[in-house]
Amino acid sequence: MPHVELRRVTKRYGSVTAVSDLSLSVEKGSFTALLGPSGCGKSTLLRMIAGLEEITVGDCFINGVDVTDAPPAKRRIAMVFQSYALYPHMTVRQNIAFSLSVAGAPRKTQSERALEVARILQLEPFLDRRPAELSGGQRQRVAIGRALVRKPEVFLFDEPLSNLDAKLRVQMRLELAKLHADLGTTMIYVTHDQTEAMTLADMIVVLDKGRISQVGSPLELYNAPANKFVASFIGSPSMNFIDVRIASVNGQTASVVLPGGRETMVRVGAEGAPGDSTELGVRPEHLTVVDPQDPTASFNGAVTIVERLGNSTLLYVDTPAGQLIVEGKGNLDVKSGEPVGLKVMESQVHLFGPTGSVL
Amino acid sequence: MTAAAEAGQEVAAALATRRLARLRHLDLFGLVITLTTLVFAVVWAFPLYWGLVTTFKPEYEVVRPGVQLWPEHFTLEAYVHVLMRTKIGIWYLNSLITSGAVTAIVVTMAVGAGYAISQLKFPGRRLFWWTILASFMIPIPSLTVPHFILMSQFHWINTLPGVIAPQLIAPGALSVIIYKQFFDSVPKDFREAAVIDGASEFQLLFRIYLPMNWGITTALVIITFIGAWNLFLWPFVAVNTEDKMNITVGITQVHDAFGVSYARDLAVAMLAALPVAIVYLAFQRRVTQAIMLSAGIKG
Repeated sequence: MPHVELRRVTKRYGSVTAVSDLSLSVEKGSFTALLGPSGCGKSTLLRMIAGLEEITVGDCFINGVDVTDAPPAKRRIAMVFQSYALYPHMTVRQNIAFSLSVAGAPRKTQSERALEVARILQLEPFLDRRPAELSGGQRQRVAIGRALVRKPEVFLFDEPLSNLDAKLRVQMRLELAKLHADLGTTMIYVTHDQTEAMTLADMIVVLDKGRISQVGSPLELYNAPANKFVASFIGSPSMNFIDVRIASVNGQTASVVLPGGRETMVRVGAEGAPGDSTELGVRPEHLTVVDPQDPTASFNGAVTIVERLGNSTLLYVDTPAGQLIVEGKGNLDVKSGEPVGLKVMESQVHLFGPTGSVL
Repeated sequence: MTAAAEAGQEVAAALATRRLARLRHLDLFGLVITLTTLVFAVVWAFPLYWGLVTTFKPEYEVVRPGVQLWPEHFTLEAYVHVLMRTKIGIWYLNSLITSGAVTAIVVTMAVGAGYAISQLKFPGRRLFWWTILASFMIPIPSLTVPHFILMSQFHWINTLPGVIAPQLIAPGALSVIIYKQFFDSVPKDFREAAVIDGASEFQLLFRIYLPMNWGITTALVIITFIGAWNLFLWPFVAVNTEDKMNITVGITQVHDAFGVSYARDLAVAMLAALPVAIVYLAFQRRVTQAIMLSAGIKG
């Protein structure tokens, strides 16, 4: 039985549909990321699970119990907000123990639990400080502590790291991963940052305009995107898309004509047919720089920009297929303006049909 | 010394002279502003000083022609008369009761009403809000007669409840508006976090919203108290016996068979203003804040 389940859930705000007929199952103990661009409905989905938004149509179950109409406090969930929402007039101790205080727990219990959580999150020296006296990372941990003290069945995170600087974000990501490993509690994490999703999640749910685009593990989404949206959203730099024509189909292999006239072989499903105009997707690291005279080159082009990142090099190459981004390991000996050949790694390309679905 | 060095020195000297001239100019300007402010301050404060000094003069000095900035014969007779031969003690007590009650009721009601309009959804919420805003269009003195008729029908004329009840309207509406605006400005996340933690609406109000706005509450308490203490018209209309008067009305009772005694009248006025002056001096920052808030609303 899934731990959290949404069945055909729709959320409408007047005439605007934020989430449309969405069904999702989250396994117990998993770390599931809801990933997508701004306005895709991921926060709305999270808030519906939390009970902060009413579900227009559909049902929500947590641990088999229908919580569709249950108030947030009765759902055994805890939430960490993007802004942390730490009560500014309360100390760290009071913030952490707030839910216990509201429930009428004895002061001794509140104090003990707050201390226990503070120890886990290394917040002991800050218990008597107010949020304004804390750094961003410390506030983040207090927000997690406030969620932790409730001993929830499900943790909900709404872009908790987006207010932190890059270095702190990396550090907090590690702490969150460790927390999940230690607690084993189901976590649902909303983010627009694919790096966070890829590094933290067991399962990623990619959302686009209120619908699920694809659900899968990080590597599944990366290596086998179900559609152009997922292919372009996952991966940085993003995938190159090239307009191609299917020349012939032989079983599960198609021969496609690239701009410039050369052909390459691609695995396809049943949908592809000769003559179809489609798009070929190839990731920057699956394009290899070869000699322009190399007969096996898929394209010829000229390098316009070279970005040297130390452990890799990014090349922006103008080709008959438009500008393509190429990623090479280490420091490539290529200069701006230099003519190059690009070879496509045939086993790593994807073909997308007119609707954007993978063929 | 080389020519270049000499030229450099000349430039430096010219710059220094210009800087000094600019400073002098600024000082002069500042001096003029300060003197002007001083003049206005003296003009504004003089009546207060004059009133205070008059209370320490014997009556014959008060009515004597000419201006005497300091008593020739310093006396506390006016204060002794007011304190010993009038019911100022009862007037103070009545003022304290009515002002305290008005403040307590207004702030309590305003907190609840402001929170409800800001955070709760109920039928008629918008209409309720517009009614409160519209009440500002009605000048309170114009309601004196309707209030009198109403209090008369309640049999509350010449009673403290009769003095208190109509005073709840104006400061009440203002306080609701101020609270509503401040509660609106509390980020939604705080509410949602507390709701997830299981807080009821009462707990949300008293443990989150109100503590986050203690400054506003203090400011409103002070300004409501001062307003209620200083009110004259309604308490004057609503009571007709000395034992029910508050201090502002009691001032009108300080006279004797020989007519007006300026020193005694001013003495009772000084004593009436004293508590409010102390409150203001102690909490002037909060009072200023409250005045700015209400000016923003009314403007």
